[in-house]
Amino acid sequence: MKDLRIKISGTSGQGIISSGDILSYATARKGYYVTTYRAFPSEIRGDGKCYYTLRISEHKALTATGDTDILVCLDEDTIYEGIKTMTEGGILIYDKDTVDQLKETREDIITYALPLTTISKELGSERSRNMVALGIVVEILKNLHLEEQILKDIELRYKLKAQSIIDINKQALNAGVKYASTNIERKDKYNNAQMAASGAKLIMSGNEAIGLAALASGCRFFAGYPITPATEIMEWLAKELPKFGGKMVQCEDEIAAINYALGASYAGLKSMTATSGPGFSLMQEGLGLASMAELPVVIADVQRCGPSTGVPTKTEQSDLFAAMYGTHGDCPKIVLAPMDVADCFYQTINAFNFAEQYQVPVIILSDASLGPRRECVDLIDLEKLKIINRQKPQLKEGDVYKRYEDTQDGISPITSPGDLYGEHVVTGLEHTQSNAPTPAPEVHRQMTEKRFRKLETAAGQFSKAKTYGDETASIGIISWGSTSGPVFEAIDKAKEKGIKIQALYPRTLYPLPTEWIKDFVKNKDVVIVIEANYNAQFKSTIVERALHLNRGTEVLEFLKYDGTPFTPEEILEEIEKVNRIQEEKSAIATNKHTHF
Amino acid sequence: MKQMEATDYKGRVKSSWCPGCGNHAVNTALRKAMAQLNYQTHETAIVSGIGCSSRFPFFMSTYGFHSIHGRALPVAIGLKLANPQINVIAVGGDGDGLSIGGNHFIHAGRKNPNITYIMMDNEIYALTKGQCSPTSRIGTTTKCNPYAWTADRINPVLMALSFNASYVARSYSGDIKQLEEVILEGLKHKGFSFIHVISPCVQYNKVSSFEKIKELVRNLPEDHDTSDKVNAMKYAFAPEGLYTGIFYKAARPTYEERYEDVIGKAKQIAGDNYTINDVIKQFQ
Repeated sequence: MKDLRIKISGTSGQGIISSGDILSYATARKGYYVTTYRAFPSEIRGDGKCYYTLRISEHKALTATGDTDILVCLDEDTIYEGIKTMTEGGILIYDKDTVDQLKETREDIITYALPLTTISKELGSERSRNMVALGIVVEILKNLHLEEQILKDIELRYKLKAQSIIDINKQALNAGVKYASTNIERKDKYNNAQMAASGAKLIMSGNEAIGLAALASGCRFFAGYPITPATEIMEWLAKELPKFGGKMVQCEDEIAAINYALGASYAGLKSMTATSGPGFSLMQEGLGLASMAELPVVIADVQRCGPSTGVPTKTEQSDLFAAMYGTHGDCPKIVLAPMDVADCFYQTINAFNFAEQYQVPVIILSDASLGPRRECVDLIDLEKLKIINRQKPQLKEGDVYKRYEDTQDGISPITSPGDLYGEHVVTGLEHTQSNAPTPAPEVHRQMTEKRFRKLETAAGQFSKAKTYGDETASIGIISWGSTSGPVFEAIDKAKEKGIKIQALYPRTLYPLPTEWIKDFVKNKDVVIVIEANYNAQFKSTIVERALHLNRGTEVLEFLKYDGTPFTPEEILEEIEKVNRIQEEKSAIATNKHTHF
Repeated sequence: MKQMEATDYKGRVKSSWCPGCGNHAVNTALRKAMAQLNYQTHETAIVSGIGCSSRFPFFMSTYGFHSIHGRALPVAIGLKLANPQINVIAVGGDGDGLSIGGNHFIHAGRKNPNITYIMMDNEIYALTKGQCSPTSRIGTTTKCNPYAWTADRINPVLMALSFNASYVARSYSGDIKQLEEVILEGLKHKGFSFIHVISPCVQYNKVSSFEKIKELVRNLPEDHDTSDKVNAMKYAFAPEGLYTGIFYKAARPTYEERYEDVIGKAKQIAGDNYTINDVIKQFQ
């Protein structure tokens, strides 16, 4: 067994997320690769459904999507939806105490109808049903030897809660294991299934990766306001920042949050905030202030469906316009788009470095499919990270410090309150090099150029765009951010079918990654731009601008805007379609040639 | 350490306030109070939003942050939390602090950061050449309300008291001695000190002129107990006139102290020598 997909589903409040989290930690800690996808409704205990998908594999898997091998349903509704996308020979586990008779089933799957409620009631806590179900899964996959690790993980997860909570969860897990080993007559193919472990690795969510990178970058101040799906960043930093003397502040709104962060940045601390669409809209004026006053700040936008409140728990890549063009005026800033959980870490390191070095706001565009998703990350070597701090001037008594000195690279050394002889006023008003406000035309022109010159200086520092696939391919995919998993997986599948294709992922979206795109399309007849929004925001702004003089490459778009992430299957289908058209075109071209 | 004089705090930028503007007196009073406490320019930051009075930081020789409309308090509190050693003074007007930035005023009171907030209330938007503000009096007409004014005024002192500000005072630009006293006490106070200064606009507000305000102001009774919040509220409500002086003063842990407590607890759990590598262990 190279690869196994488990889906746990039910109604929110049934502990779907807890059991999925515990299982994913335990599998990673046992040395398997695991990647996950969580979907939950915004109502905490409403009628909404929760899904937790885990893909456990020998080699690193890029997505958690695809048909389910083991489906665990704690309610009835999710059974009928879930069985539609199961593999042949897969296992369905459900609670026979709450389902009289299945209205629908499939002949080609194995079904275990188990008394999950009865078992949990016997333990004295019906709420422990999720752990009983998890025990069943552990026993079914007994050759993965997860039981001991899960018991440890239960302890870790609930160590700040009452001992009774730890005990009941452990008892429930054991009861599930015991029930399965003595009462289930195994008919499935997983009884002897083995999987090779692949050594030590880390498991974290995209949101945690951003928090961890912030800490590692030396960020010691976070201000934020709770918002799905970004809250996890502030919760994680609330726990970790104070251990390093740092502060996480919950503000009255996102307007306050960005301005707190700017106040702290002015005081000399590396500062950040994290939010999602509605909060990002509220931060726009502060973003412009950071740009004008030349204050370093990092803003993580974990995108969700918009506009307005939209669909808070579902994913979309529709804040690109807002990130690139948001706030009024000519506003230099940097926009980064991490591709996966590991990249959330490394792009956040870049974000702080760029912010501090160039004194600009840096926006990180994550999204709801990436932020809460837990997956394995290769070990991080902190020694190898390059951490950049802001440039300070050397001042002595009598020096006249020019905060906004117009330098060759545009970067003016910066002081903070407390620094001797460095007194100055930062302002959102246009100002002279000595920070005096002025409406003088020549000053506004000169200082606008100075601020943008920093981006020219920065241009050489951005991480290279990532390419994946066959570089001789004449069909290309250009995309950004969290689509990388399904896109790369689709490219692997296309390769098996003999289709050559190559993908390009710029991680810096603003300033525009024009050169990388131009270079990439040199040998491409057609590129498909893949992104999760209606407006083709990336294609219409970045790709088409890069290629506006290039008539040799056809630019197609493949968009999704239903709130769910792309699957490798639908991307493969699109690749095959484009490939067919290209083959037909070249056949016609060849025919024309022979006629002549 | 240099012994500071009030004139040492004069900034490089020439004041843009009109001759006769009430804000000049506030500037002078603050500089005098700062000199008494020997504030060093490099250890002091004046933070403001947008408006006539918000130009204040440019006229000082200290550090300063002239931010965006309504946001002086969040910037000031962020700065203070990041470096509690800095003397942080937020300044601004009635439109800045009560209208567009009103929400932050509530939460500053509640959080009790050790900063001073001086609100220069001219009862008008003056930088935009005269429109009604949340403290404009009934009867004020402007180009934006040429026929009649349609909303009642709000009461900043009463607000500050109800937001649990730990120091609340009011003064008047025509009484520079009292102004200096309440600012000095405010700077000395540990916690959020709010000073409401009636600071008339000589250009755009004919209703609330120096003469009119002078008729209204009266000192709080000498026997007023500044620890009695209910009584302070009665004076803030008083229909007979505008009371000035210190309404309320109480000791309460500051925001920064509470965060130090948080840090202490977290460090106790983490232990000494806690490193990023230790953080990573939770993901292994």
